[in-house]
Amino acid sequence: MKRSKALRKYLALVFTVLLLLVVLTPFFLMVLTSLKTLPEILSPQFTLLPESPKFGNYLEAMQRGDWPRYLFNSALVTVVTVVISLIINSLAGYGFARIPFRGRELLFFFALIGMMVPSQVTMIPVFIILKNFPLAGGNSLLGAGGTGLINTYAGLILPYIAGPFGVFLCRQFYMNFPTSMDDAAKIDGCGRLTAYARIYLPLSKPILGTLAVLKASQTWNDYMWPLIMINKESMMTAQVAVVAKFATEVSIQWHLLMAATAVIILPLLILFLFTQKYFVEGVVTTGIKG
Amino acid sequence: MTRTARKRSRIGHEPVGYLFIAPFYLFFLFIILLPIVIAVVNTFTNYDLYKQNDFIGLANYKTLLGDPIFHQALGNTLLYSVLYIVPSMVLGLLLALLLSGESRGYQVFRTGFYLPYIISMVCASTIWLWMFDPSSGFLNQLLAKLGLAPSTWLKDPSLAMLCVVLVSVWKNLGYCMLINLSGIKGIPGYLYEAAEIDGAGALQRFRHITLPMLQPTTFFLFITSCISSFNVFEQVNVLTGGGPLNTTTTIVHQIYIRGFSEFKMGYASAMSVVLMIMVSIITIINFRFGNQGQDTDMG
Repeated sequence: MKRSKALRKYLALVFTVLLLLVVLTPFFLMVLTSLKTLPEILSPQFTLLPESPKFGNYLEAMQRGDWPRYLFNSALVTVVTVVISLIINSLAGYGFARIPFRGRELLFFFALIGMMVPSQVTMIPVFIILKNFPLAGGNSLLGAGGTGLINTYAGLILPYIAGPFGVFLCRQFYMNFPTSMDDAAKIDGCGRLTAYARIYLPLSKPILGTLAVLKASQTWNDYMWPLIMINKESMMTAQVAVVAKFATEVSIQWHLLMAATAVIILPLLILFLFTQKYFVEGVVTTGIKG
Repeated sequence: MTRTARKRSRIGHEPVGYLFIAPFYLFFLFIILLPIVIAVVNTFTNYDLYKQNDFIGLANYKTLLGDPIFHQALGNTLLYSVLYIVPSMVLGLLLALLLSGESRGYQVFRTGFYLPYIISMVCASTIWLWMFDPSSGFLNQLLAKLGLAPSTWLKDPSLAMLCVVLVSVWKNLGYCMLINLSGIKGIPGYLYEAAEIDGAGALQRFRHITLPMLQPTTFFLFITSCISSFNVFEQVNVLTGGGPLNTTTTIVHQIYIRGFSEFKMGYASAMSVVLMIMVSIITIINFRFGNQGQDTDMG
């Protein structure tokens, strides 16, 4: 009985290790391929390791188009999205959780419904609204005539900050505090805004960390929205550029494609390794799916 | 209204609350709620972003009924959903069971399985684009080493959808594992202790404790997987572009093609409404049967 249990544990371990190897193999191959020469990759005789690692591939890949610019675009959009989301989502989450006002349940219910509607359903009308945004991109007051927010940072960022899931996350968090906290603040003469800024905000680090990490990875990783919103080279984000610059050619230069892919994975990998707890926490509590 | 009643209602209503939710609600109104209305209104027009914007009644829906490519996209989306949901949920549960321990070693394993989930779908797709490449890709090199005939993978109409599914399962396995892990953590340990005292084997404990106790988690995972499968687009666009012979085109891919390369905004909106109905059905199922333990949060 004991021996069969030990054997079963051993088999489970072997199975897990093998599966993990299979799961991680594409990552290893990506790195190895990014360091090979193209003839090496195309040769019918497969070799696992590059003859000598060609780090120059990374430099060459980053010179296909204006990569510093693409990476800057992605970073800027991500940072602005995270900052604005944190502010408006924690404010709204606090309002829904702690302040009684008329119509609160109904307004919250609408937000709930809104969260169920995937962005894929609304991408066409959102595009139309942003294209016809008044007084932007040569538009008239009625939103006609110009290109609106197409090819602008605002056009990329607005849809990212509208999603209600951060509000849910924050509301959940703020609901866990005892009501006596609000009473105490009131007795001390704190208004709602002071109570929020002085008492609740300093306690919000864990939830804001979770939200920041989730928002950052979603925004950095998004492909569909910039694909629709951007058609100007200089406004491309890194995710769109990696496909447009390398993956759509007739004969793909695999070493450059893999190098560029590795470059845009790297920031997220670093973020993940340093904030793993927040990451996991966020996914578990919201069930957010990329 | 008596004096005290008026006073009470004033205590229960603080207009400053509107101020707190106003910034969020403004964006929410214009970028989520209003678009839903516009999407529905657009389906009755032939809007093309530039000149045409006439009311054409139900013509878009009639075209939709007779559009063979859309029917194929609908079928492909459902096929993708089934092919994706079953293995990802089974493997995710299996991994969670294997890795539910607390020690450092388990944590390292879990991080490893979680890595594909944190990268973008674009990166997952470009990596696998090379893996699948018929002439130099890793999979064919592997087949050759094993003495087997090479395959054309993404260019084979009968295989392409399976390849797309494989990429999705690979990428989201860590997510399924994580959700199951959090479910398993919530099962009280004394149930297992009691079962062990009663002489229940590992398999019996799994069947009679883990599986029933995990039911809310499984259900939640099923719902989110359904919705994300209905919305599948990015991997299709990068890996196959809907081909070969439209065998991998999906609903969202069709919305994208019709809307943003043919500029048939009205027609594409009609497809969006079909998608919205599909997602709503899943959401209604969720509200009706879900909510056991988990909150209603979903992505």
